[in-house]
Amino acid sequence: MGSIRFDSVNKVFGGVKALDDINLEIAEKEFVAIVGPSGCGKTTCLRIVAGFETPTSGIVSVNGKRVTAPGPDRAVVFQQFVLFPWKTVRQNIDLGLRNKNFAGDERERLIRSVLDLMNLESYADAFPHQLSGGMQQRVAIARAYVLDPEVLLMDEPFGALDAQTRVLMQEELVRLSRVNPRTVLFITHSVEEAVYLADRVAIMTRRPGRIKEVLDIKTVRNEERWNRFQRIEDVMDLDSFIHLRTHVWKSLREEKREDRQ
Amino acid sequence: MSGRPLSLGETIAWGLAGLILFLGIWTTLSISGLVPRQFLPTPLGVITRFVQLLTTPFAGATLPQHLASSFQRYLSGMMLAALVGVPLGLLMGWFRLLDDILSPIFEGLRFIAPIAWVPFAALWFGTGIGGPVMIIFAGAFPPCLINAYRGARFVDPRLIEASQMLGTGHLRTILEVLLPASIPSIVAGLRVAAGLGWQSLVGAELIVAAAGVGFMMVQAQANVSTPTVMTGMIAIGIAGMLIDVLLRYGEALILRRRGLVV
Amino acid sequence: MSGHRRIWAGWATLAGLVLFWFGLTTWTGIVSAGRFPSPAAFWLSLVQIMTRGYAGGQLVTHAWHSLELVAMGFLVAIATGVPLGLWIGWSRRAEAAINPVFLIIRPIPPLAWIPLAILWLGLGDAAKIMVIWFAAFVPSVINTFSGVRTIERPVIEAAQMLGTPLWRFVIEILSPAAAPMIFTGMRLSLQAAWTTLVAAELVGALVGVGVVLNVAQQDIYPGMILVGMLTVGVLGFATTWLLSRVEHRVLAWNVAAKD
Repeated sequence: MGSIRFDSVNKVFGGVKALDDINLEIAEKEFVAIVGPSGCGKTTCLRIVAGFETPTSGIVSVNGKRVTAPGPDRAVVFQQFVLFPWKTVRQNIDLGLRNKNFAGDERERLIRSVLDLMNLESYADAFPHQLSGGMQQRVAIARAYVLDPEVLLMDEPFGALDAQTRVLMQEELVRLSRVNPRTVLFITHSVEEAVYLADRVAIMTRRPGRIKEVLDIKTVRNEERWNRFQRIEDVMDLDSFIHLRTHVWKSLREEKREDRQ
Repeated sequence: MSGRPLSLGETIAWGLAGLILFLGIWTTLSISGLVPRQFLPTPLGVITRFVQLLTTPFAGATLPQHLASSFQRYLSGMMLAALVGVPLGLLMGWFRLLDDILSPIFEGLRFIAPIAWVPFAALWFGTGIGGPVMIIFAGAFPPCLINAYRGARFVDPRLIEASQMLGTGHLRTILEVLLPASIPSIVAGLRVAAGLGWQSLVGAELIVAAAGVGFMMVQAQANVSTPTVMTGMIAIGIAGMLIDVLLRYGEALILRRRGLVV
Repeated sequence: MSGHRRIWAGWATLAGLVLFWFGLTTWTGIVSAGRFPSPAAFWLSLVQIMTRGYAGGQLVTHAWHSLELVAMGFLVAIATGVPLGLWIGWSRRAEAAINPVFLIIRPIPPLAWIPLAILWLGLGDAAKIMVIWFAAFVPSVINTFSGVRTIERPVIEAAQMLGTPLWRFVIEILSPAAAPMIFTGMRLSLQAAWTTLVAAELVGALVGVGVVLNVAQQDIYPGMILVGMLTVGVLGFATTWLLSRVEHRVLAWNVAAKD
């Protein structure tokens, strides 16, 4: 379960071409990050998979089934968290489970385990406004994870957090995907974040949005055994990391130069 | 929201459908006799009566004459409310002591519906023009006061500091800094006041008046002339809408001159 | 703290006002008893209506009757206005269909419905409930509508992403998201309800605070007029306070409401 496929996807917004012939395949339990300058259409890609937008032409399918509408099999983590402020942490997590008609005790068990997984046990009955940004995003991730979705769609999930919290959340996500690997489509404009988290990084160009290059990270990561480090700064010190990061940077910068001409 | 905005054509089509349904149900209820004709005339009957009343007098005057006497009271009441409310609000925003003394009083008066002033208004100023004017005043005064007060209270303190630095006195600061800076808020207050004043006018005329559209409606109600009552409602609605449109236009004009809207 | 200062200023003003009142009426007689009651005259009127009754009943009877009508009209208005506001807020088609009719009815001030209500339903309670309903209906529809329209799109997308079925969406997402605006509408509705009730009772009724005012006006009885006005004020204050308590409860999650 859980592959995503973009098949010659085009998207036009009011006469302006936002996505141009996107072809991308994400395998089951693979973590793919899309990086690109703002306005390149990377978020549109995610919104199409989520079912919030429909492609002008081409097909997006998840697990071989064409995407037509939003649904809990494709859980989204938004940049602005988007927790329901009138629901407590527990109720926020519970809504999706109730929509899937889980029995009461089963829901309770799942909620407890995901709260435990995300270190949220003591905040179960807090309202979102009582939590910090990082905690809110943990809840949003828990809300998505608990549904055991086929794919997880993360739209710049750490973009609204301060630098320190952001690093902690990135490490957390790495830990999480080791314990409980998922198919993830991750949108970001941070090159370091993409290289640190993803198995593959897709680099997008602007106007019209096109995938310029897809870079394999996983092979290097396994060969160089990035996993032996707990901390992001240790990984970021490795030559192999620096090499990949610089590659992505250059690729993006060439794109900027082309843009200027 | 759900889906994209409708196209102009769709909007018109749905709007027409809604209107036709509304008028259709109304006409059917009236013609079928489900509701006696006397109590629910057809839409056409109301329009006919409206046109008739433009020239034929009812309750001592034609519709335009009734409207004219309503407007006379309305304008007097509104002027009075603005002339007392705005300066008082500005002064309260400037002098802390005045604020402390008067705010609790207005805070308490807020809960008394303006229309409850009718008996005292009649007792003090009679039922001719004075009584209704006072009731319009009671309705329109609070927003004039509150908005001028808020405008003055929340003026950018740097403007006041700048004026103090230049050695400007109290009166001149109020007239040349506080007042101009509060204009947007005051104008917004006047618009709210205009609506509430119009509403109070209708109430006053229903209860204590010997002329005006409200008086015409009460007389029509006593004579069981439903088309005349409905004509009055429509006239009041149209006049109220015109007042609002006019003030909105004025507000936009003032805000634009201030560079507050593009 | 400015809150403390406010409270002290309030009491000081009240004391000053009472002294001023005594001064103008009892002590100097600048304001004649036929124009405004002295504190003593007011007290006697209050005692009279509380014990022996006036205008067909004791104060409690009048006040309770008015309160019942306002509560009834208000609740009917909320029960019809909020769902309509949710519907036209959510569905562009419903909005397009209902808007023109609403544009025709909206400019008519609630008080202008009084003669029609009396024509249709007479001088009894039904006519009052009808006008209060109309008066309170418009603000609750408009504010619910704009409450729905100002919901941020991601909130709706999050609910869709979680696969929320329609009825649950309306109850658990749409309504709470619009709730702050719904309460704004309810406050305006409540105010409109009181204004309309007093006007309707002044035009014609058998029991109620408006009747006290009306009879006192005809009797040229300033003491009782003041009693009637203060009763209107107290009832208005009490219901507004009650509504704000409910709002505080329901919107406990709302940071903006906490201030």
